Amino acid sequence: MSAYTPVLEDDSLLSKLDRNLYKLESHLALIGGLAAFSLMMLAVVSVTGRNLFNRPLPGYVDWIEQAMPLLAFVGVSYAQRLGGHIRMDILIGRLRGRWLWGAELASTIVMLALMLLLVWGTWAHFQRSFDFASPNWSRDSSLDISLPLWPAKLLVTFSFFVLSLRLMLQIWGYGRAIRTGTSSPIAVPLIESAASAAANEAAAVSGFDEEINK
Amino acid sequence: MTSIDIGLIVSGFMLFMVLIGVRVAFAAALTGLTGLIWIFWAKKGYDPTEFMWALTVAVKTAGQVPHSKIASQALSLIPTFILIGYLAYYAGLTKALFEAAKRWLGWLPGGLAVSTVFATAGFAAVSGASVATAAVFARIAIPEMLAQGYDKRFAAGVVAAAGTLASLIPPSAILVIYAIIVEQDVGRLLLAGFIPGAFSAVIYGLLVVGLALVFKDFGPPVGGFTWKQRFQSLPGAFPIFFVVAIIIFFIYNPFGGDAWGTPTEGGALGAFVVLIIALAKGMRWKQLKEALMETAKLTVMIFTIIWGVLIYVRFLGFADLPGVFSDWITSLDQSPMLTLVYILLAYAVLGMFMDAIGMLLLTLPVVYPAVMALNGGEFVSAADSAFGMSGTACAIWFGILVVKMAELCLITPPIGLNCFVVAGVRPDITVQQVFWGVTPFFVADALTIAGLVAFPGIVLYLPRLLLGI
Repeated sequence: MSAYTPVLEDDSLLSKLDRNLYKLESHLALIGGLAAFSLMMLAVVSVTGRNLFNRPLPGYVDWIEQAMPLLAFVGVSYAQRLGGHIRMDILIGRLRGRWLWGAELASTIVMLALMLLLVWGTWAHFQRSFDFASPNWSRDSSLDISLPLWPAKLLVTFSFFVLSLRLMLQIWGYGRAIRTGTSSPIAVPLIESAASAAANEAAAVSGFDEEINK
Repeated sequence: MTSIDIGLIVSGFMLFMVLIGVRVAFAAALTGLTGLIWIFWAKKGYDPTEFMWALTVAVKTAGQVPHSKIASQALSLIPTFILIGYLAYYAGLTKALFEAAKRWLGWLPGGLAVSTVFATAGFAAVSGASVATAAVFARIAIPEMLAQGYDKRFAAGVVAAAGTLASLIPPSAILVIYAIIVEQDVGRLLLAGFIPGAFSAVIYGLLVVGLALVFKDFGPPVGGFTWKQRFQSLPGAFPIFFVVAIIIFFIYNPFGGDAWGTPTEGGALGAFVVLIIALAKGMRWKQLKEALMETAKLTVMIFTIIWGVLIYVRFLGFADLPGVFSDWITSLDQSPMLTLVYILLAYAVLGMFMDAIGMLLLTLPVVYPAVMALNGGEFVSAADSAFGMSGTACAIWFGILVVKMAELCLITPPIGLNCFVVAGVRPDITVQQVFWGVTPFFVADALTIAGLVAFPGIVLYLPRLLLGI
């Protein structure tokens, strides 16, 4: 919900790894955003081509279906770094100190277990469609213009793998927070109160408005 | 142990995980995966040597879901709608819209508040983000209302409440999500949302006028605008109307003949126009990049919940929990309408604690089949049905009702996010004061929902007229 969640940093190894992974995640998220942009341009080209010049874009639907995994998966770790994935923090938000980090650690371990299994599951899904011996290395293809499907499937596995790395770092971060008992741990998203989330949201969306209306 | 027992235990475990703060998407996916392992292993009589087999089959079953369910054209509407929203901030539409609303509606009793309702509703519809819209208009509209002598609690309440009108007027991402989960036509739902959304906005407007007539020191009308000034204000607000209209026209062609294309294409054209305006208003790569990153983040958050829940749904299919729940609901010794009202009330309570999208996605796989069964099944004719409408019509009607309920949760304590946002923007107004200010609108919403339940024609008029459902 909130546009910005602070993740604290220092010069420890953990924080360095966190920032480096964050760079990768940011690039991936930008690719996702550019995919959304391309989707828009593709639709504009398709609709004007079809209605004004009577020339539909070949394979339009195929390209959309290829672009969707870019949009839907590559940013998954970016959202996790920023604490973006939707959750109910009304109970956990009341915990403080080691209790809070313990609860966060438990839920992050559960998530990691799930993601590792899904890396396996999505890899199996990819393998069923990938074959060096076939044309385009592909056993299956899209309906209209026969794009190979395996790259999009591999992308899912890759995104889940990056998310697993992120979760490992967060487990490290929460574990360290429990050991030190600090109230301001590094490399993990902190829970914001509804009020401060709201203030950040407001700042994020109204900055430009004021910039241009000066 | 039967598969139903497994379904119940595992679903209970999911609720527990959500409650203790596991992120919704992952709680749902893990539940689905665990349930699949359990069911497959149970089939082998819990033979320890077969556990690896059960695990492998379950993981492979779940592993297909993310790619196969997400790579669909219908879902591409969601990022398109989100992109429109983020671009709209940079197109400088907010002030132009408020100015236009003021010039056209300011002369009414409580005119500035009425203008706020319509400007906020219009912008929220296009931006699709109730919460962010409330933040922006809290900055634009509240100072003007206070300068005119409005009660600050009320001024804050208007902004917080009007932001909730976003979810029904096209483009609405949450209606798309509903359509995907219940496997209904997206276009029909978007079209169906228009009148209830506009109806809600009119009810809000009438409420403000009524309050202004009763309380004399409410806030003066702002008049004195010439017709010329009024028409001059329209071009600035034009993109809003364009986006809403183009999406509707891409579902239904007003000039006869086939629709111009898919809703996705309509949304893309809308986004393109907003992009051009934003560029003209001074948006550069830095802001565009920011908008794209935010679009990517929100899109991923929504899609993660979608595939997470769909893994859970895959498991539900094996456990047949929805079927059993439907049988139980239809066997209740009370009128189906009363049962429906109870279901809606349950959503109101749930909405107090949960995010709208998470709440709908987690509950609909079980609740939606039950509601369809209440009406008499998916393929029932209007004459044989309990609610006097066909299965398809019931799917649309229920969708509008639950989305309206879900949006209500943005203004109900204890975590009505819109109210927190308005209070966050205005340090001089407390959250309690905002909650006090939205109370009349909450009552109005309750009456609106009652109206939509009692007169489904309000929801179904457009889809029936234009698409002949």
